[in-house]
Amino acid sequence: MALEKHIYKIFEDIVGPENISQEPAVLDSYSWRQGQGARMDKFVPRFEAIILPKYTEEVQAIVKLCNRYMLQFKASSTDWATAGTRGGPNIIKIDLRRMSKIIEINEKNMYAVVEPYVIYAQLQAELMKKGLNCNVIGAGSNCSALPLAAHGGIGHMGQSASCGERNLLAVEWVTPEGEIVKLGSLGSADEWFCGDGPGSSLRGIIRGGISAMGGIGVFTKAAVKVYHWPGPSIFPIEGVSPHYAPSQTPERFMIRFFSFPSIEKMLEAERKIGESEISFELMGFNAAMIASNIATSNDEDFENLNRLRSLMKGHGFLVIVAGNSNREFEYQQRVLQKIIDETKGKSLELIEDPKIGGGLLWRCIRITASIRETFRATGTWGGALAGTDIFAKEVYHMEKAALIKKDLIRRGLARDDGGGILVWAQEHGHLGHGEMLLQYSTSPESIKGAVELATGSDRIALDDHYGVPHGIMGNEKHDMFGPYAYNYHLWLKKIKKAFDPNEAADPTFYISAKK
Amino acid sequence: MSLDDYQSDMEMCGRCSVCKFIPLEKVNGFQHVNVCPSISKYNFNAYSGGGRLNIVVAMLEGRVGYTDKLLEIVYNCQMCGACDVSCKYAMDMEVLEPINEFRIKCVEDGYTLSTLDKTITRLQKQGTMVPGAKSKRGNWADGLDVKDYTEQKVKIIYHAGCRTCYDKDLGELAKTAVTLLKKAGVDIGIARGEELCCGGRAYEMGYKDDSLRQAKHNMELFQKAGAEILVTGCADCYYTFKVLYDKFQLKGDLKVLHTVEYFDDLIKEGKLKPSKEFNALVTYHDPCHLGRLGEPFIHWKGEKIPGYMRRFDPPKQYRRGTYGIYEPPRDVIKSIPGIKLTEMDRIKEYSWCCGSGGGVKETNPDFAAWTAKERIEEAESTGAEAIVTACPGCNKSLKNAIKETGSKLKVYDVIELLEKSI
Repeated sequence: MALEKHIYKIFEDIVGPENISQEPAVLDSYSWRQGQGARMDKFVPRFEAIILPKYTEEVQAIVKLCNRYMLQFKASSTDWATAGTRGGPNIIKIDLRRMSKIIEINEKNMYAVVEPYVIYAQLQAELMKKGLNCNVIGAGSNCSALPLAAHGGIGHMGQSASCGERNLLAVEWVTPEGEIVKLGSLGSADEWFCGDGPGSSLRGIIRGGISAMGGIGVFTKAAVKVYHWPGPSIFPIEGVSPHYAPSQTPERFMIRFFSFPSIEKMLEAERKIGESEISFELMGFNAAMIASNIATSNDEDFENLNRLRSLMKGHGFLVIVAGNSNREFEYQQRVLQKIIDETKGKSLELIEDPKIGGGLLWRCIRITASIRETFRATGTWGGALAGTDIFAKEVYHMEKAALIKKDLIRRGLARDDGGGILVWAQEHGHLGHGEMLLQYSTSPESIKGAVELATGSDRIALDDHYGVPHGIMGNEKHDMFGPYAYNYHLWLKKIKKAFDPNEAADPTFYISAKK
Repeated sequence: MSLDDYQSDMEMCGRCSVCKFIPLEKVNGFQHVNVCPSISKYNFNAYSGGGRLNIVVAMLEGRVGYTDKLLEIVYNCQMCGACDVSCKYAMDMEVLEPINEFRIKCVEDGYTLSTLDKTITRLQKQGTMVPGAKSKRGNWADGLDVKDYTEQKVKIIYHAGCRTCYDKDLGELAKTAVTLLKKAGVDIGIARGEELCCGGRAYEMGYKDDSLRQAKHNMELFQKAGAEILVTGCADCYYTFKVLYDKFQLKGDLKVLHTVEYFDDLIKEGKLKPSKEFNALVTYHDPCHLGRLGEPFIHWKGEKIPGYMRRFDPPKQYRRGTYGIYEPPRDVIKSIPGIKLTEMDRIKEYSWCCGSGGGVKETNPDFAAWTAKERIEEAESTGAEAIVTACPGCNKSLKNAIKETGSKLKVYDVIELLEKSI
């Protein structure tokens, strides 16, 4: 159902005729099912129109019109995930692609202010020129650097650069009713340095463990906390795609992959690494992720995985240490070795190779290979998500859910990637995150298997009291978990109702207050 | 392969958006990260490599039909292949091939743009898409003492290309190239007024039959001359003879070289010695058809190996832009005393297009100009005095952009610089 002509015209007047479309071909390019959580239908329902604002005021005007004409909107930036889709009757897509400026990099106060379509690759590159760095989400540096755009904002640099919920500072927010609200220090001092004041703080309202996935308005600018970067300002990458390689490993950087005889030993090692604060990056890779990351094709990936399976002891993680001085670097290496000795870890020699390890080092700092890792193999991916909480809890949740995955592989319903889980400690060990990748196909049986894993994992979280996983979105799941978690779902619905009485912001991947 | 054969490739699209950016490992800052002119200009996802694949799948599924807007999207693409390279950094799937196949389908189904139809009519009538009397085609070679391969046998032939033949300045470049080749002792022949369009641009516009007809005529001509090596200074023609003719299985044993490759060899063999100083700081613009698209065609036929992972038997080697012609032009430039080469942000396999490819110059000159202006801005940001290229199409496109922007940059062909030094 197309927008009525006069309504379309009003939208058109806001952004100009070249920045709005309801042509079927354009709409279908936003309706492709994408690889994540793919189902049998190749296309999800179309949006009514796609609109491309450039300024906050245009976003505001669009949102207000949606409220006036009882339309819904779904805003997204780089749009790589199922949550960017949905569509359906009465929903228009606000594509924030034209909002693409880095507003400020404040070296003194260590933050950067970005619009939604700045990608991490850009921001990180600019930061590194100034000796700074930011958390890049694990989904990849092709994603929006706005700390509210991503789902959990979890990344490889969680040890040294934390995650989305921690890094969010001041925010410019167009509420679902179309009010422009400036949160944190921006609200009182026109400064971006803090999310909690001296202006009003609504950080806990606009996001929790995960963002609202478009369900609570549009975030048009936000400040992200940045961190010290001990590496070079320019990346020494040479060669021609896809055979990029660093000409040298930067001074005082070391990358290793360790595997352990038991999950307990791995947990102990990660705890100790966290406590000693020696790690720049710690990522819970398994054999399949390493195999995909270092491979330039599926054929290479296939061979790598076969080789790695025989070389690795069991569960493991990838660790990068980066020293500010030779003395510090020596200390870091010595401590790391001691921890690995104590926990009976085994270094994967392949990664000690400067060429392979050097390439992996840069890809894992710049997060450029997540596409290789997630969907090159089959074109689809899904799996199970734990939360970000006490590390061991997340690990045991995923360990149990892994039995479902292994059973799916045994039944021939998903790619056999070894069945490994992805768990890693964050912020010096007291927090951790867990997830599990499943690469399947779009056959009915395989899709059924993918659903079985996701729902099975959630059931485990509920029954075994592992808390609310990050994959809980939409009313059905919130209603399932809420009663077991302080009725948080009722509060979430109240928030939705208070800020979005007309339910203008598409609640599909957030929560609806409607009964 | 037909469009249907690429359906599984197209359905691999995960909407990750990497087709919009240069390969992520090469992002060195905020500026110049976009790689696709079309999405950069028009912004809707439909204009990206991935969006185009989504639309084609929608068409195959019967969800969308031909509309003016659909054709506008289809033809507002330079077919530069940058999306293909960025995608294939991470993925095993074809991007540019199905985009081209869809254009062929549009033509087969009778949905084209009138400007392109007129261009093809010219090709059918006079053997070139460039306006200009056929009788003038060989004028560029007036005064050149060189064999005519339509009259006598010769192992090495030089193909000037349509743009060059009908443009006085570019014609001079061709003349220079042939003169330098002769100076190095190369026995070379040209076809003067009998030279025909390579057909490459027609293929990229979707007119496959017209392209094939040109290819057959050309190969007859080359074979009759006994040609073993074809040298051309046009990147489009280079790609067509080397890659497309091979794809059509018409190339046979003909070896195709761009002039920069040939001159690079001659310099390295000591047969040409650049000696005069030319003091300038220059930057080099990689033509798409010489660079990422200039790598050899890979013949492959196989079956998917049963299982979840997308692998094939025999293994499929993808053209990822890895083996394009990147170093020879740079080596020629660097061989000239006094010249300093500085690089732009987007180079080699992830070079930004000059804007004139894929029929865009014909159908949407404003978009072509916008794309070229972007490149001029990037070249200026290096501090270079001149931008050097190795393609007449890029040459003209960049010069026009300079004229419009008032930039002080100069544009040179690699051959021009070489001539100044010899």
